[in-house]
Amino acid sequence: MNDLLAVEATGVTKTFGSVLAVDDITIRVAAGEVYGVLGPNGAGKTTFLRMLFGLIRPDSGTIEVLGKSWGADGVGVLDGVGGFIESPRFYPYLTGRQNLEGLALLDGGVRPGLLEELLELVEMTDRADQKVGGYSYGMRQRLGVAASLLREPRLLVLDEPANGLDPAGIRDMRALVKRLANSGLTVLLSSHDMDEVEEICDNVTIMKRGTVAFHGTIAKLRTMAPDPGHLLATTDDTRALALAEQHPALRVTRDPEAALVVTGPTPDVSAYVAALVRNNIDLLTLTQTQTPLEALFFMLTDDTTHQTLDRPAELAELAEAAR
Amino acid sequence: MSATTTAAAPVDTSPATRRHPGALAPLRWEIRKLRAQYRAKAVLIGALVLPVIVVVVIQGQSRPPKDTLFGRFATDNGFALSLLVLGFAAQWVLPLLTAVVAGDIFASEDQHGTWKTVLTRSTSRAQLFWAKTLTACGFAVIVLAVLATSTIVSSVLIVGHQPLTGLSGQTIPAAEALRLVAASWATMLPAMLGFTCLAILLSVWSRNPAVGIAAPVVIGMVMQLVGALGGVEAIRPFLLTTPFEAWHGLFADPRFTGPLTEGLITSAAWCAVCLGAAFVMLRRRDITGG
Repeated sequence: MNDLLAVEATGVTKTFGSVLAVDDITIRVAAGEVYGVLGPNGAGKTTFLRMLFGLIRPDSGTIEVLGKSWGADGVGVLDGVGGFIESPRFYPYLTGRQNLEGLALLDGGVRPGLLEELLELVEMTDRADQKVGGYSYGMRQRLGVAASLLREPRLLVLDEPANGLDPAGIRDMRALVKRLANSGLTVLLSSHDMDEVEEICDNVTIMKRGTVAFHGTIAKLRTMAPDPGHLLATTDDTRALALAEQHPALRVTRDPEAALVVTGPTPDVSAYVAALVRNNIDLLTLTQTQTPLEALFFMLTDDTTHQTLDRPAELAELAEAAR
Repeated sequence: MSATTTAAAPVDTSPATRRHPGALAPLRWEIRKLRAQYRAKAVLIGALVLPVIVVVVIQGQSRPPKDTLFGRFATDNGFALSLLVLGFAAQWVLPLLTAVVAGDIFASEDQHGTWKTVLTRSTSRAQLFWAKTLTACGFAVIVLAVLATSTIVSSVLIVGHQPLTGLSGQTIPAAEALRLVAASWATMLPAMLGFTCLAILLSVWSRNPAVGIAAPVVIGMVMQLVGALGGVEAIRPFLLTTPFEAWHGLFADPRFTGPLTEGLITSAAWCAVCLGAAFVMLRRRDITGG
């Protein structure tokens, strides 16, 4: 037992031709934590994870995994590491079981019974003897998790594990990742879904165009999140708009689609809604446009949003936090 | 920009003590995959069955193909027919047979997007490279052996095993002829391995199974064409197709084996250059797809 970092990437840069995919990023993942790497497509998350696995060589910087580095330890750096990048891929002409057996061979063998345990864990026992070519996307994702766990890792790296799954598949995958995280594994999870990261992770790095736009705990992120926005439709939007003047903490504007957009702290929104009802203005719909963390994610990663937001102080604070 | 968090609690991150695969593990994996592929099985079945059909068809013709080496005796002598088939096979069949596996064995990982699957295990790129190379070369040896055996056995059984007339007009007793015919087929191996390595290089470079399979055949045919032209004596020894003709000396009187030695060197050089280039290419490559 020691307190080595599970992942220590320092000053990592990677370019593809003229495209700067990852720009001098430093990420440290402590052992035992569930760490999220969040960002829109093209932010550099997958490139970073590929470098961690040695699939891509960084132009500069160093990456250590569980205290080992590619330069010094070669493929031994992956001892204790399991996971997959983007959607897991297998040999379509082999069965799920044959694929796992082959990968176990490349790992130097696995303890007896583990393969069956894992097939059971990912609920693939019944389909294990069918060829992977006939598997659905979700089944391949589950087989990918089994293939990762076959290495009995202490660091599990999952790149958008719920990507492409249907809602039930997403729910099941998140539940599985949470179960694994609760078992004491260090989990490094890449995602472009704020909800997923919020639900699963302790700490998060938000990437934008190859750089770190934010890092810290989810709790810290929540405190920085902007007020939630709501779409409101009433029986009398004109009166509702007028009534909003009595609630200075709120910003209420007309939406092009004839609804009202209400932005502000949740207690003030509740008070405003109560006032509408007291004034005999019935609510037709009230829906949240974005969760606060989603809004924050877009603020951090979307250039166009940056230009239209009028919260420079908050953005400055976020930029400071990222540094 | 940096992202740093501190550990909530120390967790076991001491260096892992997991087992590592032995040198043969990746090879066993590649062989297992090859055995599961219909294409490889089809090639082996073809190498076994097609010579029999060819022998039956040629033997049934009223006029032998006199304009080819040993063609004039092909309908009367099983050894001559074996050598006729050998001459034909060397033109493009042998490069094709080996390229079906060698041209696909690396590129299929790109096709299936499985590089990232195998390279995130405890096996290095170098181990995988040599495992794939040995598998492809092993398949080349097996398919050549099957093709040669099927051709010789079917020719001898269907046409007969009379003494063979050599290239200098000498009579070669049946037992000696059988030994020489078998040796002639065996001399195909170095050049065939050369084509195997060429297909491996093209498979690694192109990342496309179609290119890996078809290009060596096309390159082989171009080499045959170039080799047949006049005024290219200087480059002919360096062509990978030249060793395919080195067996002719075995049927001359006196026998000469110089071309066999030269062919061996040429083939070895092609193997070394192709494998060296493919290895460096694979080692340096960023795996971005899949």
